[in-house]
Amino acid sequence: MSGAGAQPPVERSSLLAGGTRTRLLQAGPAEASEAVVCVHGNPGSADDWEGLIAAAAATGRRALSLDLPDFGETVAPDGFEHSVLGYATWLGEALTELGVERAHLVLHDFGGPIGLVWVAMNPDALASITLIDTGILPGYRWHRLARIWRTPVVGEIFQATATRGAFRMLLNRNEPRGLPRDFVEAMYDHYDRRTRKAVLALYRDTDDPGSAAPELTKLLAPRDIPALVIWGEEDAYLPSSYAERQREAFPSADVHMLPASGHWPFADAPETVERLLSQFLADLAPSEIQP
Amino acid sequence: MPSTDPHSPIISDGPAYDAVVVGGSLAGCATAIQLGRAGLRVAVVEKQPDPQAYKRMCSHFIQASGVPTLERLGLLEPIEAAGGERPRVRIWTKWGWIAPPPERAARGVNLRRELLDPLVRNIAAETPGVEMLLGWTVDGLLRENGGFAGVAAHNREGEERELRARLTVGADGRDSRVAELSEVPVKTYPHNRFAYGGYFEGGAPADAPDATVWFLDPQWCAAFPTDSGLTFYAAMPTKDRLPEFKKEPEAALVRFLSDVPEAPPIRAGRAIEPVIGKVDMTNRMRKPVAPGLALIGDAALATDPLFGVGCGWAFQSSEWLAESVAPALQGSESLEQGLERYSRRHKHELGGHAFFIHDYATGRKLNPAERLMFSAAARDPKMASRFDTFGTRQVRPQQAMPRMMARAVAINTRHALAR
Repeated sequence: MSGAGAQPPVERSSLLAGGTRTRLLQAGPAEASEAVVCVHGNPGSADDWEGLIAAAAATGRRALSLDLPDFGETVAPDGFEHSVLGYATWLGEALTELGVERAHLVLHDFGGPIGLVWVAMNPDALASITLIDTGILPGYRWHRLARIWRTPVVGEIFQATATRGAFRMLLNRNEPRGLPRDFVEAMYDHYDRRTRKAVLALYRDTDDPGSAAPELTKLLAPRDIPALVIWGEEDAYLPSSYAERQREAFPSADVHMLPASGHWPFADAPETVERLLSQFLADLAPSEIQP
Repeated sequence: MPSTDPHSPIISDGPAYDAVVVGGSLAGCATAIQLGRAGLRVAVVEKQPDPQAYKRMCSHFIQASGVPTLERLGLLEPIEAAGGERPRVRIWTKWGWIAPPPERAARGVNLRRELLDPLVRNIAAETPGVEMLLGWTVDGLLRENGGFAGVAAHNREGEERELRARLTVGADGRDSRVAELSEVPVKTYPHNRFAYGGYFEGGAPADAPDATVWFLDPQWCAAFPTDSGLTFYAAMPTKDRLPEFKKEPEAALVRFLSDVPEAPPIRAGRAIEPVIGKVDMTNRMRKPVAPGLALIGDAALATDPLFGVGCGWAFQSSEWLAESVAPALQGSESLEQGLERYSRRHKHELGGHAFFIHDYATGRKLNPAERLMFSAAARDPKMASRFDTFGTRQVRPQQAMPRMMARAVAINTRHALAR
């Protein structure tokens, strides 16, 4: 049964967390200590999640997203550590600030490693997890673009020459049906000098995004946390063969491979992703819903 | 001195039949109907004893190319009376829907094999000159004067018979025993997709009874609304997706179809029987004739079910054969001439289609030329009509391609300039 009713409005505000003011998109009961928390990837922002926040809030839950520091419109504080651990720590601070004690994480792309490290630090705070083209990535070899970013000088030259046209072409070339123009334009608008620098730092600091997989699997598999996995079958960056492998850490995961989607299913198949997420949240045991 | 193959050492006198048809399914019965109506004596040898038997793993879709044959055979009216639908086909592509203007769109036929097979078999059985031998299995082919001359068969009670005929017809499907025994040359082509499908009550797709096909490139699925308000839902993914389907066929099929763009409401339906699958669908193209012998339907050309051509081509190839050999069986020319005519017709009509179908069955994605045509058909209604005429196999690729390619280039150029 779907619990989705009329979608509550998504409110935009800001939040001071970890020494920076970040954008906050939020819908549903703002005081609830249990919330659907969406973590974007690269290049992404809090805006990626607007539709899904509304869909999640329609199930009666608090739902929110944030800009990670130096992404979207948010500036990282001086000395911020652009690493998976740095971002995971910041996420924890932001959730504390928001009064979120239990989270239904919704992760995409680099939001995956960041969110999962937060889970490793707070395993009891995880109520459920939705992995969209991300997750545990055992044996993963960085995609071509990441290898460019990780190479000194080459990465800087690439970032310096990523014009709007080149960005649009590069992104769409790898997507099976292209992405909505507004989505790509907004993404580029946020892809400013700070973000470009943060991307280089984050990718260079992350030698092996799959290295945490064995520990995460050991920690999470026995807990059998409710999980939804959505993966665009034509993902050019994180191969869809990883979709099934999420069951190693989340044995009861409901795995959906979207056959005509690429790396951003919530952008190229929004109705399907919203339907799957609302259904998943609505089907969770009632005890997991905050009164 | 007549001789036989090693499987049938017994020899009898004089051909009792003009033709013996092995296989009492669509192609075989359609051939029997036509030869019977031409005043010829025909035996149909079918291993299933039940006159209500039917092929289970089949989308049952008859392409518009087969409809004129159904009309000429007098089968279209009874099919419609039995509840058969006359669907158009809409195709989802990443460039948009290919949906030709309804008044110009070709209409195929959808009637479940459960109803279609007995219907055609009954009409064959009632045709003067046709003798149905149900529950008989072929053991060997008879040979005479360097050619084939009928079959040796046995029934379930252990009775053995020789059915001598001037023409032996193999209409016994993809794994044709007649083709195997006759050792006609065969070419095989790999198939790297698998198929799962089943009938659902409720949860019909938008625009039912029109059929909907999703070309997800390289994945594929479809919805064929049919008689009695049922819908046949099918998916043909590449083989890397097989484990999830083997584990839970119905759940995997429902999940697959629910997750496609503009998904049909399959979740609102209920499977009325177990969802079944076929994993090995190696394409086979056989030489359709040998001295005194012809192959029709899947026995001649077992191609990719993805394009829904099997049933239509079964009827069409039966008609080409009947037209080609009837004069010879009536005594006005040599059988060799008639068979040669059939062979050429078969190759002429289906060779081009088979070439393209077999290539796509490898599980590959659409190639640049195909992408050009699919995208143009999604962008332009006139192109959609031509695409529809080709896709429903009413024209051969050799006829259709040059004009379609030229138009596709023009449409896509206009589209690119307009952006």
